[in-house]
Amino acid sequence: MLKDKIEKFLLSVQKPSRYIGGEVGSIVKNKDNTDVGFAFCFPDTYDIGMSHLGMKILYSLINSRENFRCERVFAPWTDFEQIMRDNNIPLYTLENLQPVNEFDFIGFTMQYELSYTNVLNMLDLAGIPLYAKDRGEQLAPLVVAGGPCVCNIEPMADFFDLVILGEGEEVNLEIMDLYKVYKDKGSTRTQFLIEAAQIQGVYVPSLYNIGYNDDGTIKFIMPANNAPATVKKRIIKDFDKVFYPDNFVVPFTEIVHDRATIEVLRGCIRGCRFCQAGFIYRPFREKTTETVYNEAKKICENTGYDELSLSSLSTSDHSEIDKMLSTLINYTESRKINLSLPSLRIDNFSEELLEKIQKVRRSGLTFAQESGTQRLRDVINKNITEEEIMNTCRIAFEGGYNTVKLYFMMGLPTETDEDIIGIAELAHHIVDLYYSVLNGRRGRPVQISISTATFVPKPFTPFEFEPQDTMEIIKHKQKLLVDSVNDRKIKVSWHDPKVSILEAVLAKGDRKIADVIYKAWLKGCKFDSWSECYSYEKWMEAFNECGISPEFYANRKREYDEILPWDHMDYYVTKDFLIRENITARAGFTTPNCRDNCSGCGIVNETGVKCFD
Amino acid sequence: MIKIRTVFEKNGRAKYISHLDLYRFMLRAFNRSGLPIWYTEGYNPRPYITFALALSLGFESKCENMDFNLNEEVDFDEIKNRLNNVMPEGILFNSVAFPQKKITEIAFAEYGASIATEDSGILLQEFLKFMQKDSILVEKKTKKGMVQTDIKALSEITNVTQNQDSLDFNVRLPAGTQSNYNPMLLTNAFINEISNKNISVKICRNAIICSDGKKFF
Repeated sequence: MLKDKIEKFLLSVQKPSRYIGGEVGSIVKNKDNTDVGFAFCFPDTYDIGMSHLGMKILYSLINSRENFRCERVFAPWTDFEQIMRDNNIPLYTLENLQPVNEFDFIGFTMQYELSYTNVLNMLDLAGIPLYAKDRGEQLAPLVVAGGPCVCNIEPMADFFDLVILGEGEEVNLEIMDLYKVYKDKGSTRTQFLIEAAQIQGVYVPSLYNIGYNDDGTIKFIMPANNAPATVKKRIIKDFDKVFYPDNFVVPFTEIVHDRATIEVLRGCIRGCRFCQAGFIYRPFREKTTETVYNEAKKICENTGYDELSLSSLSTSDHSEIDKMLSTLINYTESRKINLSLPSLRIDNFSEELLEKIQKVRRSGLTFAQESGTQRLRDVINKNITEEEIMNTCRIAFEGGYNTVKLYFMMGLPTETDEDIIGIAELAHHIVDLYYSVLNGRRGRPVQISISTATFVPKPFTPFEFEPQDTMEIIKHKQKLLVDSVNDRKIKVSWHDPKVSILEAVLAKGDRKIADVIYKAWLKGCKFDSWSECYSYEKWMEAFNECGISPEFYANRKREYDEILPWDHMDYYVTKDFLIRENITARAGFTTPNCRDNCSGCGIVNETGVKCFD
Repeated sequence: MIKIRTVFEKNGRAKYISHLDLYRFMLRAFNRSGLPIWYTEGYNPRPYITFALALSLGFESKCENMDFNLNEEVDFDEIKNRLNNVMPEGILFNSVAFPQKKITEIAFAEYGASIATEDSGILLQEFLKFMQKDSILVEKKTKKGMVQTDIKALSEITNVTQNQDSLDFNVRLPAGTQSNYNPMLLTNAFINEISNKNISVKICRNAIICSDGKKFF
């Protein structure tokens, strides 16, 4: 029995409870009593994957259907993977400890580019052919993908049978219902895929033929078998009524986000030009205070969590934020639950709000300013002035805070040395502000940490046309920043640009990248987002051997009329709008947020309703 | 404030809940149960939950003790039922009562060991031979570093049984706050001596015994 085989080795690996299931809240169905089984794979470790809200939602959703079964799968850490390979333990699900290749669907959630090699590694551990074309004509198992990265899944397209665009709460069930019909009919894989491609939100990569120009750019994208010329993403129209779980699987071992989470809104009104999430999750929709409260109460009662977190791209943009927080705090205080609020924006962070958060527990203060000068903040449409930043810090310092984390991006379009020096200057101003607030009183020393990430241009943003800075330029800018900081109260850290270039290639790549990913995996690349596992050298070897230049994808400017690898994906935000925004950005002008003024991104044409009255 | 002592089993998949994770796990279980658990009154109030004797990761147990305080009186059966209603497979509360013994009275623990093998006959012979040795010296980690101990002198072995695919026996070892011995010291020493390495050991704690010879409760 697989369970005995697993248990034999479990005590010799780190955190064994990750590999055996049995957690409170997990749903174990009898495999013989269900029609369709879905193995939901998160291509990273248990600790990371179990923190992901989307998986919790879809897991409960599929299991809410009596005849469907959803079980969880995570990437084993390298110690357990070695044991699995040495002892012929196939990749298995945590609920029934059943081999993944016995499922009808093997679904991967594609949350970040650096998890791509893990997908291949997991398929290999499951004993499933990596390339979709090698899987034959039998219906199962179908390897499917969803999540934000599928807005350009082309680099991974060869490995998936079917890809789901947008929000999964409706379309996942539609696909499984259709599958059931075709399974009963005894259809072939191709028959099913051709029919599935007719469902809105479904992209079947094998039904699209891609042609290339001599210079490597795309010449044409040609659908076959009646597949739509552009695949439209799915949107939940009535977000207040959308399915939300009553219960979460509560892990035994500690995970990254170990708490009850309620999604309070979807989409974002801000339109920061570097932010993919801000465009691909449009339109802005929110849950009412009542719904948020009811869902929060249920989840807290059923899981027993003593921490509740509100999740969204920008929680303080909720139209009822004050009412919602008061309602929630009344509840959480009475239950000794800690309420945490990530994603608060600097510009509407009021004194009142700060007090409410402090009523519960003081946590750190983190601001994502993204760039050091007002000019560049205007370019990226991060509509915050230095005055607002200073005001917020003043309120925080007066409230007793003494640590501030500042997030910046480096390598943004139009960025100059002056903008980099501006980051250091801003941090120095904040230090000065702290001591002026203290006004000669003795206090704890202030701690400012500056964290910089290398800008990665992403599809479906106004910067999708932009090149990424080369490694040399980034290194120069990092050195400049370090040299510009002359205060030990300010700490500077940054992301490795050797990782960022790979992210850019995978984010904006086309189907030619698939063989590079495969080669990299063959060379042992996996867990690329873990610094102890990432090997830039192996990746570069893989690019070389495939005759692919990473610079072509990462550092090349795209003309507005170039056919982009993701042009047949329709996230409703039109290319015309993105071009318009790119021109506006380069001219240094901002665009108002959606609540103040509709900027005509294209979403209204599809939904038929205005986002705001 | 009412002090409560419980006894629960930890079996199956639940044996992979580590001792460190157990506190957090029980805290959430109390939140789910709705029992009026008492919180400490310090700066950072938290429920006061303690476990009598840590259990090694991967061991099963029939006799884990958990103490906690309630704000108001609740019927023992109801406490038991409310806790069992919110437990995962593998954890089962068997009794609830007021504490009788002090934790410092714990002197021994009894374990059942089961060594799985294809040929339990050979293993039995090897085990009997092993136990005839004058002394069995093992390295034990202590606060002062590694210390050599004769585990044979400390172990009281009973009920050695040859089953179809396993060799089973019981062992009583010193336990408690003063000195505590893990039965794996003994089983590992045995496995080191024999040639067959393709065997696996299962251990279950059967009883916690006080210095007066009575069960801890």
